[in-house]
Amino acid sequence: MENNIFIIATIFVPYAGAALALAVPKDMQKRYLALLASFIAWIFSIVVLIAVNEDGTQIYRLGGWEPPYGIVLVADHLSALFGFMSATIMLGGILYAVQCKDKSITSPSFMALFLTMETGLLGAMYTGDLFTLFVFIELTVVSSVANVAIGDSRFALEAAMKYLFMSSLGSLFLLLGIASIYVTFGTVNFADLARQLAISNGNEPLLTRASAVMLLSAFLLKSSVAPFHWWQPDFHTAAPTPLSAVLSSVIVKIGIYGIIRLTSLLFVAEQALIYRWLVMLGVLAIFFGGLSALRTYNGKRVLAYSTFGQIGFILLGIGWGTPLALLAALVYTFNHAFIKSSLLMLMGVVASRNEEHSADLEKVAGTGRKLHWSIGLLFFLGGMALAGLPPMNGFISKFLLLQSGLEAHEWLATSLAIGGGILTLIYMMKTWQLIFQQKPTETSAIVHATGGDGYLAPALLIAASLLLGIFATPLYKFAEDTVTSLDNPHKNYIEAVEPDNWRALDYQPFLGG
Amino acid sequence: MDFFFALALGILFGTGVFQLLRRDLIKAAMGTAILFTSINLFFLASGAFAPDVPAYVDQYADGKATPSDPLVQAMILTAVVVSFGSYALLLSIITAISTRYDTLNSDEVDELKN
Repeated sequence: MENNIFIIATIFVPYAGAALALAVPKDMQKRYLALLASFIAWIFSIVVLIAVNEDGTQIYRLGGWEPPYGIVLVADHLSALFGFMSATIMLGGILYAVQCKDKSITSPSFMALFLTMETGLLGAMYTGDLFTLFVFIELTVVSSVANVAIGDSRFALEAAMKYLFMSSLGSLFLLLGIASIYVTFGTVNFADLARQLAISNGNEPLLTRASAVMLLSAFLLKSSVAPFHWWQPDFHTAAPTPLSAVLSSVIVKIGIYGIIRLTSLLFVAEQALIYRWLVMLGVLAIFFGGLSALRTYNGKRVLAYSTFGQIGFILLGIGWGTPLALLAALVYTFNHAFIKSSLLMLMGVVASRNEEHSADLEKVAGTGRKLHWSIGLLFFLGGMALAGLPPMNGFISKFLLLQSGLEAHEWLATSLAIGGGILTLIYMMKTWQLIFQQKPTETSAIVHATGGDGYLAPALLIAASLLLGIFATPLYKFAEDTVTSLDNPHKNYIEAVEPDNWRALDYQPFLGG
Repeated sequence: MDFFFALALGILFGTGVFQLLRRDLIKAAMGTAILFTSINLFFLASGAFAPDVPAYVDQYADGKATPSDPLVQAMILTAVVVSFGSYALLLSIITAISTRYDTLNSDEVDELKN
């Protein structure tokens, strides 16, 4: 298959932008440069999406080396969808950063680190082998931690340290899992691995299941699922607003991407067992996240806990395993990225206009009454979308998920998911009323007339959410194609990557079963 | 040779986990570095079919010797660089924490509560 240059371009453009952003002297120049780079990457991700939609899986061989020894970038339907989603939200985050008045944004390396984070994110979505995935995930982690640590929040250092420890541990297990895979199969290429795993179906060598567990726990940690989530609310709250908007909406989706990739392509034989665990973890996350969000006294923290709950809904969709449920999980993932990033940005908009620049619900209570009405309206629409009310896109994703649950006869989990959805409605209503309807106290009544962040980015994202709610067909169609292509990995992934002279199976496993 | 290699790996991994669980932040950071080293050694062991054979052997063409896998060493090199970067970042964050909180005891760095 021909190389598609746009896959590597999507990853490379933010990286080049990061290098240029370090070289440019003035602060605003850095920001506009970052905006330009992420806009170009966004256009390229759309090109990749269209190419995948028309011609199926696209690949790019780095340096012309053939897989499995050369690194290959693969954009199938899943990668293209996730890559487009990430590029869109990163563009929104950088647009917010351009208008942001936070002091940490003026730090000379902020925009460069933001762009390397985008590189890592897009690279992780588009790569075709496990080891490169590890490297890109580490790039994302290191740049986001450095960016949070230079933040002006009092808790930033502590949160950054906490996350770096946890995520180093996750990366360790990812690396250990990759090493175990390499010991067993002599390859880290997704397509080659999938081929060999399909051959050894049901009769796997020794370390296969152990490596499946290690990779899965690493991905669960990256997307902050129940037993591995303790870093997430702290880290996402302490981050500067543009960063926390992208962290909580697309960076956590790396784990979701990895889980879908593992269960649909690699460990198909263990799928049923993994799915059962995912459903349990999903229900746990929905309730843990929802209840924690209810008893929290910081606006950004409410939304961070809410991410934790919403990831649970996505895991439910993956875990039910029917085509409709997987489709619902994909639509949910896509829609949640828009909703959560815009809500976190709006929370930052409100907090930045507050006297103390705090999202603490006590200090911010009633501030909203002094603000322009459009902020309140946007926040209300975002809350509706998160709670899953029509006409927003959150309704489509929740509706699809519950329908798939009913069709799969998962009565218990579905009813628990409905309960979790009601929890979402309660905490979003509570937050909205506290900020926009309660009588202001003496301190929270003081609002900066001139200062504060601009809210063009959240307005655009909310508009996109509304449009995705009304015209849901293109997304639905593409997610349907994605599920179809995931259903037949041999045709859509393995054969697309496989070169003509695929090497003979002469590898003698070191630790054969 | 295999046995001693495995034993060394196990000791390193155990030391790393023990250090990671210490209260002292510097020791915990060192624990992650030791863990990364042990995993890199595990990776190395997976590439060498006989543990003491270099990556390229002259007699390979005659079919007399099995070379060890060069791909593993390329990957370890990358993994070492990556882990080195995150270790350096971790140490610099801990340095900043030690000046701000005036302690390295992880129990006392606990301002983040709700």
